Amino acid sequence: MKQLIQLRINGQAYEEEAEPRMLLAFFLRETIGLTGTHVGCVVGECGACSILLDGRVVKSCLLFAVQANGKEITTVEGLAQDGELSPIQEAFVKHYALQCGYCTSGMLLAAHALLTRNPDSSEEEIRRGLAGNLCMCTGYTQIVDAVKAAAGEYKKV
Amino acid sequence: MTETQYIGKKIRSKEAPRHVSGGGQFVDDVSLPGMLHAVVLRSSYAHARMGHIETRAALEVPGVVAVLTSEEVKRTSRPFKPGRYSAGLQKPIPEYATAVDRVRYVGEPVAMVAARSRAVAEDALDLISVEYEPLPAVVDPWEAMEPAAPLLFDELDSNVAWKGALSYGDVDEAFQSADQIVREKLKIHRYSSTPLESLACLASFDDASSKLTLWCNGQNPEVLYDALGEALDVQDVRVILPDIGGGFGQKIHLIRKYVVLTGLMSVKTGRPVKWIEDRTEHMMAAGQSCGMEFDIEAAVKKDGTVLGLKIQEVDDVGGSVSTLTIHFTNKLNNLFSTYKVKNFRLEGRSVVTNKCPVVPNRGIGKPSMCFIWERMMDRVAQELGMSPVEVRSKNLVPTSEFPYTAPNGNVYDSGDYTQLLEKAVKKLEYEKLRKELKQKREKGKYLGVGLVIGLEPGGRNAARDMAIFPDVKELPGAGGVEGATIKLERNGSVTVFLGAPSCGQFHETTTAQVVAENLGLSPDNISVAPRFDSEVSPWGVASSNTGNNFHLYDIGAVHGASLKLREKILQLSAHLLESSPQKLTIDDGIISIQGSPDKTFTFNELGKIAYGNQSLIPEGLEAGLQTTYYYKFPHAQPFMVPDKEGRVRAQFTFSAAAHGAVVEIDTETGRVKVVRYIIVSDNGTIINPDVVDGQIYGSVAHGISVALGEGFVYDSDGQLLTVTLTDYSKPTACETPRVEIEHAPVPSPFSVLGQKAAGEGAAIPSPAAIASAVEDALQPFGIKIRELPLSPEVIWRLVHQGER
Repeated sequence: MKQLIQLRINGQAYEEEAEPRMLLAFFLRETIGLTGTHVGCVVGECGACSILLDGRVVKSCLLFAVQANGKEITTVEGLAQDGELSPIQEAFVKHYALQCGYCTSGMLLAAHALLTRNPDSSEEEIRRGLAGNLCMCTGYTQIVDAVKAAAGEYKKV
Repeated sequence: MTETQYIGKKIRSKEAPRHVSGGGQFVDDVSLPGMLHAVVLRSSYAHARMGHIETRAALEVPGVVAVLTSEEVKRTSRPFKPGRYSAGLQKPIPEYATAVDRVRYVGEPVAMVAARSRAVAEDALDLISVEYEPLPAVVDPWEAMEPAAPLLFDELDSNVAWKGALSYGDVDEAFQSADQIVREKLKIHRYSSTPLESLACLASFDDASSKLTLWCNGQNPEVLYDALGEALDVQDVRVILPDIGGGFGQKIHLIRKYVVLTGLMSVKTGRPVKWIEDRTEHMMAAGQSCGMEFDIEAAVKKDGTVLGLKIQEVDDVGGSVSTLTIHFTNKLNNLFSTYKVKNFRLEGRSVVTNKCPVVPNRGIGKPSMCFIWERMMDRVAQELGMSPVEVRSKNLVPTSEFPYTAPNGNVYDSGDYTQLLEKAVKKLEYEKLRKELKQKREKGKYLGVGLVIGLEPGGRNAARDMAIFPDVKELPGAGGVEGATIKLERNGSVTVFLGAPSCGQFHETTTAQVVAENLGLSPDNISVAPRFDSEVSPWGVASSNTGNNFHLYDIGAVHGASLKLREKILQLSAHLLESSPQKLTIDDGIISIQGSPDKTFTFNELGKIAYGNQSLIPEGLEAGLQTTYYYKFPHAQPFMVPDKEGRVRAQFTFSAAAHGAVVEIDTETGRVKVVRYIIVSDNGTIINPDVVDGQIYGSVAHGISVALGEGFVYDSDGQLLTVTLTDYSKPTACETPRVEIEHAPVPSPFSVLGQKAAGEGAAIPSPAAIASAVEDALQPFGIKIRELPLSPEVIWRLVHQGER
């Protein structure tokens, strides 16, 4: 039996039906059509599907869509403001902090949550803050550099 | 190179803006009307006979549209043709998209269900019952070789499916004139490159036109295209490869099974069918690297000169013969590594076992060849009481000898290996460091340093694998051919189509830099199609995101195509400006006559004329501003095709690097920490420094992690114990060290811009560097490192139980 859920995604209100067993990651991708959230393992190991749920970073493959009822979600598509890339997105572009782009959405949201929480993160704290997100291409160096570079912008807020 | 405007410069990436916005288009992001979702039923046994497959209950689940069983696959499709890696089979062994009659590894596909949703398809999967008659599993290659071992294939007399040898120089003479023979046994485990996006296919068959369109994340269009033609007998095939979430070799070979299965399912149902592999399926069945064992003898002189090497190799190739010799023949690429040694014999056996079939992964075969050389150099140094650097230096190909022809036919285009080693020694302060580390070890802190050197070959020769099959008449290809199409659009912007797909190596950006340089146009006005489409991409045998091909073939084609277009632009402009092409210059998309800057034409104006105003196009000049150029490597001879001595150029360019690792070992936990890691790298002319560094960072991270523990583990029944990324020990940002890179480029005299490969490279020497450093750190225990991985468990046992 499908259930009706109401939620806000990237600032926009949605009222949608979802099967109770539907995972939030697939709800975002298939029901809402926001395919920027990627699925790499479906068991919470890789972090590609990371999103913000009420401001906290979560793995959307570990939640059912119905658990997001009444919540506020930010996906990678919601990071840019008024057509301008956000500081963390801009830093990823500038520092070549990605290769295939598959882990990027989750990595950005994890980095954004980390810097929002602690803009003064040290390299070690950045690495620990990204430990829930796997990248198979980059060896993480340019990602860590991008996060460091973006930190300044978060301090201004 | 002369002064450049874009080549070698930092520029804003073409691909990154769409990826950071969630705008990449991967196969799973494509949906078609009426599309079904497919899932695959897989063997839970490592070895079993299959009887009846009962599908009735599954078909009754609401939403299920069709089930395809192995029996139907056999009836309605044809087996794949034996490819270049199974050309040595005495009797052909038919291989279909699924197992037929018998399963030979856990996870081998048996059936496919298609339903209106993935969840429903998975429900139905549980309702299919397969009659299995379990057979004893053969997991260890040595047990598999015993006469009484259960046979995997009835067509074979033993589980040794292939035996062969490569021999160069006079090995016997080298061993007779040696002062000393140094012996060692080495072993490398099974691992993978685990791309974050698993395998994915979307097949859509249009019955009315008998046309099959495939969206897929395969790395090599040829494999997919041929598979569909061979298995399904569909002639009108279109292959589209959109953004690919990492490849590393994992998406070349076994993916064809799923291409055929989804294709068959689409033909059967008349609907588009999407199949997305899950992570556990990927770990079990998408392919692993080959487990390899080596019995090695080195003939050496007292002064450290290595006269020759003899190696016996056993490859554990798993439960398929389709990639039987792939890890063996890939050693041809760096068979002599950076050394001037002349005499060499490698005898190989490929043994089938009840494990996942083998596929390439970052560096395939080459990390193990480098591991052999570098472990042996350390061993020779130890036995002769010399410095490891001294032994290496003594045996390096001298800088004065480039281009250097190695005994197996490889022609090393350019390099300065002595310089690489010297720079690494300096960067590490090697001699001082060795003393410091020794003192630390005396105080109970276990630190060690390893310094190694290795090659990164690039630009595949399609005829390479025939070196071990001298009797095969028909070559599967030779050399390399790859195209690029470039057009100046009506609005003055430029669009480029490459012949090959990308798996995340910034091909669009690098291409735009070369085009910008040649056309005198800002990269901002150049767009490179982000996908391969067999209907429009100009592709040939080298059009593959494999073999470190991009720098040689794609750049060669892009360079040629953009110069051709420039020529055409100048001809049209010269006519319009009443001048001659030689007198014109192009700057930022504006063509002018040298010395009279007021008479100009813009790309925008030219676009409108070329496509719209015949009256302004001169006689004899083709209308439109589009050109296609097919590049073929102009220096492919000699040894493009194997000669009678088995000499063949496996690849055409040779990057190289020295790697230095400093590790600290916690002997209580067995954990190895990489304290420092440096690379001095020669990748020829660098087109985009950020991209090259990124490739080095990524490949070294993989090599280090392979050495330190990531890998597959099977139990004695052939059950895979590492089915998740955590079990498999994939490192996070916390375990991955920061690496220091120093560039020491020596441009290639053979490639269009002097460029050489930068892709899989740092994955090649890094396992050897780590092994060397770990052995150094464990000197007080007298431990020799002979095997990978060096996981905490292995190190702990070595230290505390003296095991190995």
